[in-house]
Amino acid sequence: MQKRVFALVGAAGLAAVIAASSASAAGQAKNIPRTPDGKPDLTGVYDLATLTPVERPNGMPAVLTDEEAAKLEKQAAQRREFGALPAKADREAPPKGGDGSPGPAGNVGGYNSFWIDAGSSYVMIDGQKRTSLVIDPPDGRVPAMTQAARDRMLANRNARPTSDAAESGRDPGFEGPTAYDDPERRPLGERCLIGFGSTSGPPVLPNYFYNNLHQIVQTPDTVMILTEMVHDARIVRMNAQHLPGAIRKWMGDSVGRWEGDTLVVDTTNFTDKTRFRGSTADLHIVERFSRIDAKTLRYRFTIEDPNTWTKPWTGEYTWPATDDHIYEYACHEANYALQNILKGARLKEAEEARQKSKQ
Amino acid sequence: MRSKLTMMFAGLGLLLAGAPLVAHHAFGGEFDPSRPVLLKGKVVKLEWVNPHAWIHVEVPKADGPDTCQFTPGAKCETWMVEGGTPNTLLRRGITRDSLTAGTELVIDGYQARDHTVNRANGRNVTYPDGRKLFLGSSGTGAPTDGADPAEGRGRGRGRGGN
Repeated sequence: MQKRVFALVGAAGLAAVIAASSASAAGQAKNIPRTPDGKPDLTGVYDLATLTPVERPNGMPAVLTDEEAAKLEKQAAQRREFGALPAKADREAPPKGGDGSPGPAGNVGGYNSFWIDAGSSYVMIDGQKRTSLVIDPPDGRVPAMTQAARDRMLANRNARPTSDAAESGRDPGFEGPTAYDDPERRPLGERCLIGFGSTSGPPVLPNYFYNNLHQIVQTPDTVMILTEMVHDARIVRMNAQHLPGAIRKWMGDSVGRWEGDTLVVDTTNFTDKTRFRGSTADLHIVERFSRIDAKTLRYRFTIEDPNTWTKPWTGEYTWPATDDHIYEYACHEANYALQNILKGARLKEAEEARQKSKQ
Repeated sequence: MRSKLTMMFAGLGLLLAGAPLVAHHAFGGEFDPSRPVLLKGKVVKLEWVNPHAWIHVEVPKADGPDTCQFTPGAKCETWMVEGGTPNTLLRRGITRDSLTAGTELVIDGYQARDHTVNRANGRNVTYPDGRKLFLGSSGTGAPTDGADPAEGRGRGRGRGGN
């Protein structure tokens, strides 16, 4: 019962906050940096790492109490500390047949956690620790897909992977026919073309792993959003018309305008190569950037594609400024992994052919 | 009820620890679970590059094809060991110069599916006393990190593979 009350109070509180913040977004915030022409200055480097997932896990309230948030954040810290503990000095090689590691570690153990820089705290907006980026629908879950979208995904089971492909989650080695046939069948991130987990966006999402830094550079005519991983710069043309429909871009065509102190970025003209969460090239995304204070942006995104979801959906989270440096992610300089992966698949095919010819 | 709620959050923590991470890199497709390796050698070169850093180590071997740089008069086999992105380490002040040539390492992992190349994933990259690379002092009496399969196969080590 208590759980249910939590969820109810949380959802109602969140709805009230969303209404209130929408109203305040149109007003003039004080004590924030401004450009010479009086617009909020969004320039800066931001670290988007967070523990708050895109969708709310089952059974979680919309908003965590301070006590609950502290407990979960402590657990995350303990996992990091655990990964930093020494290994046995006199250890043997890991077990033959794989070490049983799940998901992206692919039964071979991935690599040490000292490489990883995931989030350490939950998104806090208006004093509330949120358990999902999705705020509408109020259950914190992405709406159901249309029947047409479900049919399409079923028919395209072996289609080329999407920009947010989580293929490693079901990849204990070789996850099915055709996925390793040629480089173009590998996920866009693995090929160093565009961010994975929709880091490049839009919508810009955290990848819950590392290199979650983004930089905004702003002039009256143009806003640039640079994504550290995988080295994508999205150019937002201010007060401009969208490009003709025949022109399609990896991150879509973004045009911007100011609504009060909120930068509104409207993106269309996607390609059918990225297909964020199974969407089509008709995807339409509206992002709203506003300043909460001198150190924090509020980033809200609304996603619609009638070909894919039964209704539009909205998420939001904070972009905290960081003093850390954003580095070039020159992804192709030694992408031995792609070579190793494709070579591995060819050898496996040859071995299978050899076994077959013996029979 | 309080205890049920606590359990729910504890369960969620465990769930997150083992949850698949979004990744751009098919670890299981690159490395061969049937070819475990334990490499004891010395650093000869670092490729401090994205998407993955590669640590080159020379491992003394009687019939090795290379002349060892750091073990006079001996023959070596040179291995490349895959790590993660250097960017996160750069932000912590760790550069390619933090790991100098000649540093002794112990690495366990799995060889690439292409057995003609000496490449492996750096499942565990440590100094000879077991301390993880790039991390501070070991602390005393600390338990192991689970590298021993008897301690719980692959769980809760914060590993991933991007």
